[in-house]
Amino acid sequence: MIDHRPIAKRALLSVLLISLLSIGNKLAAQDGATLFQNNCGTCHRVDKDLTGPALKGIEDRVKDKKLLHAWIRNNQAVLASGDKYFTDLYAKWSKTPMNVFPNLTDGEIDAILKYIREYKAPVASTTGGEAGPADGKMGESDHAILYGVLTLILAVIALIMLTVNSNLKKLADDKEGVPAHEPIPFYRNKTYITILTLILFVIGGFYVVKGAIGLGRYKDYEPEQPIYYSHKVHAGTNQINCLYCHGGAWESKQASIPSVNVCMNCHQTINEYTGAPIYKADGTEVNGTEEIRKIYKAAGWDPAKKQYTGEEKPIEWVKIHNLPDHVYFNHSQHVRAGKVQCQTCHGEITNMHEVKQFAELSMAWCVNCHRETKVDFNDDKGNGNKFYSIYEKYHDEIKAKKRDSVTVSDIGGLECQKCHY
Amino acid sequence: MKKLSIIAVLVLAVVAWSCSDVRREPGRVYMPDMAYSRAYESYAPHDTLASQGIFYNAKPVPGTIKRGELFPFPLEKDKQGDTANYVASKKIVNPLPVLTPDQFKEAERLYLVNCGICHGAKLDGAGPLHKRSDGTDGPYAAQPAILLGNPTYENMPEGQMFYSVTYGKNQMGSYASQLSTTQRWMVIHYIKAKQAEAKGGSASGGAKADSTAKK
Repeated sequence: MIDHRPIAKRALLSVLLISLLSIGNKLAAQDGATLFQNNCGTCHRVDKDLTGPALKGIEDRVKDKKLLHAWIRNNQAVLASGDKYFTDLYAKWSKTPMNVFPNLTDGEIDAILKYIREYKAPVASTTGGEAGPADGKMGESDHAILYGVLTLILAVIALIMLTVNSNLKKLADDKEGVPAHEPIPFYRNKTYITILTLILFVIGGFYVVKGAIGLGRYKDYEPEQPIYYSHKVHAGTNQINCLYCHGGAWESKQASIPSVNVCMNCHQTINEYTGAPIYKADGTEVNGTEEIRKIYKAAGWDPAKKQYTGEEKPIEWVKIHNLPDHVYFNHSQHVRAGKVQCQTCHGEITNMHEVKQFAELSMAWCVNCHRETKVDFNDDKGNGNKFYSIYEKYHDEIKAKKRDSVTVSDIGGLECQKCHY
Repeated sequence: MKKLSIIAVLVLAVVAWSCSDVRREPGRVYMPDMAYSRAYESYAPHDTLASQGIFYNAKPVPGTIKRGELFPFPLEKDKQGDTANYVASKKIVNPLPVLTPDQFKEAERLYLVNCGICHGAKLDGAGPLHKRSDGTDGPYAAQPAILLGNPTYENMPEGQMFYSVTYGKNQMGSYASQLSTTQRWMVIHYIKAKQAEAKGGSASGGAKADSTAKK
């Protein structure tokens, strides 16, 4: 049975291939764009150098149509024949070999060339001019100033009223002949002093307590990174999965910061930033293309020669989320077993240009979540995590309808030594 | 007048506080000796270790394989301008047996995380990085390989696919740092199963793939 498999597979594949090719040929003759996409697009673009040179004006550079066809079909043969233009081109592109396409017909090659001739760059897509974060900030501080001014005006009015009141009282007293006692200045008035002391005590106490609680908590910490890396552009606009770069979150304790070769997976091709303008907190615009160059410097990539120079320099990213040494936290346990979304603890990462710490990362914050979060408890129907089948008591209770769910704290999520040991 | 100035100063202080800037400094901790690790932690700078006579280069010992891992790919990366090993890789077969439904699900996850961004969730070469869902062009200029529907890739031997995933090919980089050897072979199984499925075939893994894919 097994012996027949490869043969059957091969036969099936070849039949399918032949039928596909025969259909393909008929359709493709008219559709240079599809042909280009299928055969050339991975390495060539009409208006931009990629693995191979930009193809715009190829027919002007290579006047001999026969030679061009021969080159496209089998470049190795043309190189072997020693054609000067193509030998120079080959050397210029650091001898990157081009694939051979013996199956392309003359009609198909003409269709591709026609597509290249008539290619028009698509109109630059502007993904809706978004207002810079500077504008939003301005609005907020405007409100603050407004409230401040209002408070000030009210305070002044209150003060004037008080003065007017005391003056009127004095006038009234004079008129009625009540002997006016010597007014005590406000800084010696005991009531005033008591009230002021109390107020100061409350305000001071509030800030002391707040500061003390804030010790060791980094909420909203937003350090400046060596490269202006925008999570909004990468994870938001371009929809790159979090785990593409932070794969460690699935498999290990650390979410892991990607090494620069992961950046180069895409940035070898994407060498300029063309999206909507990005503004820093102080209102200056970020030069995306310049930031991409910094990756090239770190990776030792020469964009002109399209080669690695070997001169690498580590990018020293600043770690934002720091737990104290006496706390153990494991990403994979939460992401993989707990199925917690990244955004639950890290906030709307897809909307943050610069990342800031979203959660408090305090013990109360951890404990609260452990109290409320229900674990993926398994049932008789095969749903849920089978690990939990060892909790017989809870299974019995669920069956007896004494409880409807199991939280993390129920299975020991609040025990000290789960996180501190 | 004195009262007025005191109140004004207080109010201005509150206003200044409320529009304070981005928090660039982390702040302080209670007990630094309990907060900062004395042992080496991930991403701690390790440039001082050498001066203490500690050898550390953050890399596994050459020639070691982690437990449960497949043997590494026998071929080296081609030198610039050479294709000998790329061609030779055609002969190498996938060492993994056909995926179980659970493994298939995991392979699909790996594909969607690492490959789908360019090659498309439907293997159609239209990942969001190259072609946005609204039809506009994404920033990635090169056409990612169209894994489904292009005979070049449908007939590409698994060994050659593995070579490309491991060492990179054309504009694509190496995924050896993101996917382990086993994971790379799993993803290739997944792609082959999807290709077989698209052809309506029952070729290796196709039937099993069908049942899991529809879940």
